[in-house]
Amino acid sequence: MFLAWREIRQNKLRFALVTAVLLLVSYLVFFLSGLASGLAGLNREAVDKWQADGIYLTAESDKSLNQSMMESDLVDEIEADETAVLTQTNLIADNGDVKSGVALFGIRPDEFIMPEPTEGEEFSEEFEVIASDSLKEEGFSVGDELELSGSDETLTIMGFTDEARFNAAPVLYMDLEDFEKVRPGASAMSTQETPGQPAEGGQGPAEEVEQPDMINAIVVKGGQPNDVPDDLEYIESEIFIENLPGYTEQNLTLTFMIYFLFAISAAVVAIFLYVLTVQKISMFGVMKAQGISSGYLSRSVIAQTFILAVIGVLIGFGATVLTGQFLPAAVPVSFDYGMMAVYGAVLIAVAVLGALVSVWTIVKIDPLEAISG
Amino acid sequence: MTEHVLQLEEVTKTFGSGRTEVRALKETSLEVKRGEVIAIIGPSGSGKSTLLTIAGGLQGPTEGEVRIAGERITELAEKDRSKVRLEHVGFILQSSNLVPFLTVSDQLKLLDKVKKGNMSKEERDGLLEELGITKLTKKYPNDLSGGERQRVAIAKALYSNPSLLLADEPTASLDSDRAFEVMKLLKSAAVKKNAATIVVTHDTRLTDYVDKVYKMVDGVLHLESEDGGAKPLEEGRTDFLEKGGNEDGI
Repeated sequence: MFLAWREIRQNKLRFALVTAVLLLVSYLVFFLSGLASGLAGLNREAVDKWQADGIYLTAESDKSLNQSMMESDLVDEIEADETAVLTQTNLIADNGDVKSGVALFGIRPDEFIMPEPTEGEEFSEEFEVIASDSLKEEGFSVGDELELSGSDETLTIMGFTDEARFNAAPVLYMDLEDFEKVRPGASAMSTQETPGQPAEGGQGPAEEVEQPDMINAIVVKGGQPNDVPDDLEYIESEIFIENLPGYTEQNLTLTFMIYFLFAISAAVVAIFLYVLTVQKISMFGVMKAQGISSGYLSRSVIAQTFILAVIGVLIGFGATVLTGQFLPAAVPVSFDYGMMAVYGAVLIAVAVLGALVSVWTIVKIDPLEAISG
Repeated sequence: MTEHVLQLEEVTKTFGSGRTEVRALKETSLEVKRGEVIAIIGPSGSGKSTLLTIAGGLQGPTEGEVRIAGERITELAEKDRSKVRLEHVGFILQSSNLVPFLTVSDQLKLLDKVKKGNMSKEERDGLLEELGITKLTKKYPNDLSGGERQRVAIAKALYSNPSLLLADEPTASLDSDRAFEVMKLLKSAAVKKNAATIVVTHDTRLTDYVDKVYKMVDGVLHLESEDGGAKPLEEGRTDFLEKGGNEDGI
């Protein structure tokens, strides 16, 4: 540490440059990790909030919520501590000023996925909804009447709830009983995937009153999925999330970028320190001639790298958090500090790894050459 | 138990092989006692530096035996030779052997970090005083003149209380007065600290201050003069030094 610190103090510029590189790389890593968890949250936070263990979809749906259609009385055949039926569709909600693409969830208010409103109150009458509070930032408020694409009905926002986004869309929770009346193309099951197509004449709802509700999925909590009904498939929550459209691809892309940055920072540090070490070969040679061991000199280089990496990563961390404060809400960044700590530690570790190239150089220095040179 | 800090027995050094073989050092034997200062003079390329580096354990001889402080270093691995150098050998090199990013006092402090048994604070201050570099302790090598740097290098070499001091042209960048001063200091430090000193030099004037002068020609070492011109030491030159005993246990 003695040599390491004094050299840093005496050569501030060159070590500031190494630190700056580490700072920028760590800034980028932290930011990407924030973006990764932010984007992931955008997709999954509604599902996470349920704290469900798993979800039943039809086997033929291939883990796609939209493609899974079943009758709601199937819920009686499912063994679990708690169950909740779920139906979902995507549509556009318009309060007169703003339009927003939303995910409309039809649920039963007495089941466990029913959200607690953080503002306003629960839905109780027909066509009332609890909305994701992310809609507030877009200009929606309690009491708004929402016109829907593909339906003549209007919904009223009774309250907002937090952590309610699904597959990048804000969620509107409403009672399953009314859901069928607003589902686009409600009369024809096969066309429920084409939003924008208006329901025909409204005779659909009238006919379906006698039949069990059609739902997309049954969400469960507790119990073992031992006896899965025919035609259904049990999917753990995590697997269900990974199969949301685009989720895995997006996550892998960002993770890949982060891993690549680790490799880049190892290489950059290795090159930088190697150049610095090569410049000091004769100095190291003289010191080795005096009997100062390679081990001592190597430890000094490692200590130096460690100091620089810690400083760089800490500043990078601070800069990331600071930037996060000033970002517009539209940027989906959320910082997972535990994950960032891990990434920071990995960055420091790969920087030290990069210094090993210099250690090897030092070990190879022949003091004799330094002296006779 | 031997009086000799350095013993070279029939040491040879050959570089290359076959047609390109160069015998840098022909069978050479040399013994240097505690408190003894010898000079090796000779033209460049005569093998002086090769001899010095072998004596310092920086390279092994092709044949023969080298003992530093009684330890047969010919058989040691580089790691262990490095330890022997650290414990017993002080180098004063032609080119500055200072660490550019350490102040003069930190140069000495570095030795405290890697080894024990260095000079006490009082001895250190006396040494710096004697070398005329007391005021330079907070300066970096780049801020010093060539002569100042060389004096710091000498201080660094003496600071570790070596039993063998190897100096390659130690006075090269010093003016005559300062050169004589330095030689006197080396001599009296060697006597006081019971160290053996080898000085490789071109400067024949300096041989006035040494016990023996050897001449190196074409890899052969001749004894030129013995106790020829060694001037008596002035009294009180190195009073700051504590008398060194047989701290190496040899």
